[in-house]
Amino acid sequence: MKQRATAIGVVAFLGMVDALYLTVMRGMHVPCSVTGGCNEVLTSEYSEVFHIPLSMIGLAFYFTIFCLAVLDAFEVSHLLKWVFWLALPAFLITLVLLYLQAFVILHFCQYCLASAAFVTSIFLISAWPARKRQILN
Amino acid sequence: MSNKTKPLIVIIVAVAVAAGIAVYWSRQSSASGAGSSDVTVAVNPGGGHIRGNASAPVTLVEFGDYECPSCGYYYPMVEEVLARYPDRVKLEFHHYPLIQMHAHALSAAMAAEAAGDQGKFWEMHDMLYKHQPQWARNPNPEAQFLAYAADLGLDANKFMRSLKSPDVEKRILEDIQRGSAAKVDGTPTFFVNGQNIKPLPTGVDEFAAAITAPITASK
Repeated sequence: MKQRATAIGVVAFLGMVDALYLTVMRGMHVPCSVTGGCNEVLTSEYSEVFHIPLSMIGLAFYFTIFCLAVLDAFEVSHLLKWVFWLALPAFLITLVLLYLQAFVILHFCQYCLASAAFVTSIFLISAWPARKRQILN
Repeated sequence: MSNKTKPLIVIIVAVAVAAGIAVYWSRQSSASGAGSSDVTVAVNPGGGHIRGNASAPVTLVEFGDYECPSCGYYYPMVEEVLARYPDRVKLEFHHYPLIQMHAHALSAAMAAEAAGDQGKFWEMHDMLYKHQPQWARNPNPEAQFLAYAADLGLDANKFMRSLKSPDVEKRILEDIQRGSAAKVDGTPTFFVNGQNIKPLPTGVDEFAAAITAPITASK
C-alpha cells in the first residue's frame, strides 16, 4: 500500500469523525473546554452556506478524499492528484474560516481548528513531491 | 476477494466506524454538558424574575446569559413550553452572564434589570434574546439597549441611571452567586422543580417531555 495515500486516508478518516460529530451536535450545546468559543462559532452566520451547515460540506469533502485515498492505496486507480486539486480550495477556505474566527467572530472553535489542521495536513501531504515515483520514472 | 471489492469494504467499514465514534462522542458530550444529575437547587433560590402563573406547581429555573448563543437557541423553546402549560409551569429566570467569555453579557443583564426597574424586565428580556445577533456583534451595544428601551416606552434617563447603577450590578452578581451555589457550570442551565435537566433537550418536544413528569405528578 502507498504510504502517502494511507496517510491521507487516516487524516481524512479523522476529519470525517470531526465533521460527523459537529453535524450530529448541530443546534446543541457543544462542550468546549480548550478554546471556549465553540458555540459562538458554530451558531454564527458563517456556520452555513446557503443553509447548508459547513460541517456537512466538510463531511462530504473528507468522505471524497477518503474514497480517493483508499482507491489509490489499493492501486485501483491513481487519484492522488485529484486529492491535491480538492485540497487546494479547501485549504484556501480554511484560511478564510480561520480569519473569520480570529477577527470577525472573535472566538475559536476547537473542532474547527482540528478540521483546519486536517485540511492543511491533507493539502501538504498531497502537494509533497512524489520523489519515489519520479525516481522510478 | 477482488482488488475492487477490498477498497469498497474498507470505505464502508470506515464510514460505519466514524459514524459510531461520532454518535458515541456526541452522546457523551450531551451527558456531560449540563453538569451532574444529582446537583439540585432549591425550587426558589431567591431573587430571579418570575414569568407565568406565580402559583403554577412546576418551576422552570433558568440560569441564562443574554449573549450566549445556546441561550438564544433555547429562548423560543422556553416560551413554547410556557405557552403549552400556562397554568402549570412558571419560569424563574436568573442572570448568569459568562463575563470572561462574553464582553457584553453583564451590560445586557443590566439592561434587562434597568428595564425591570420600570416594570418592563420581560419585555427587555424578549428584546435581548430576539435581537441577540445584532447587539452581540456591536462593539458598543449600549446605544442599542437605549433604543430598545425607547421602543418599550421607558424613561431614557432613568434607564441610563439604572444601567450604571452599582445596586443593579449587585443584583446580578448575587444571581451569579446563586448559580455558583447550584453548581451551574454553563449556560443555559435549567432546573425543573429543583432537578437539573440533563442532558439539555434537543427540541421543544423533548423540552416539554422533561417538564411533563412533574406536571403529571402535580395533577
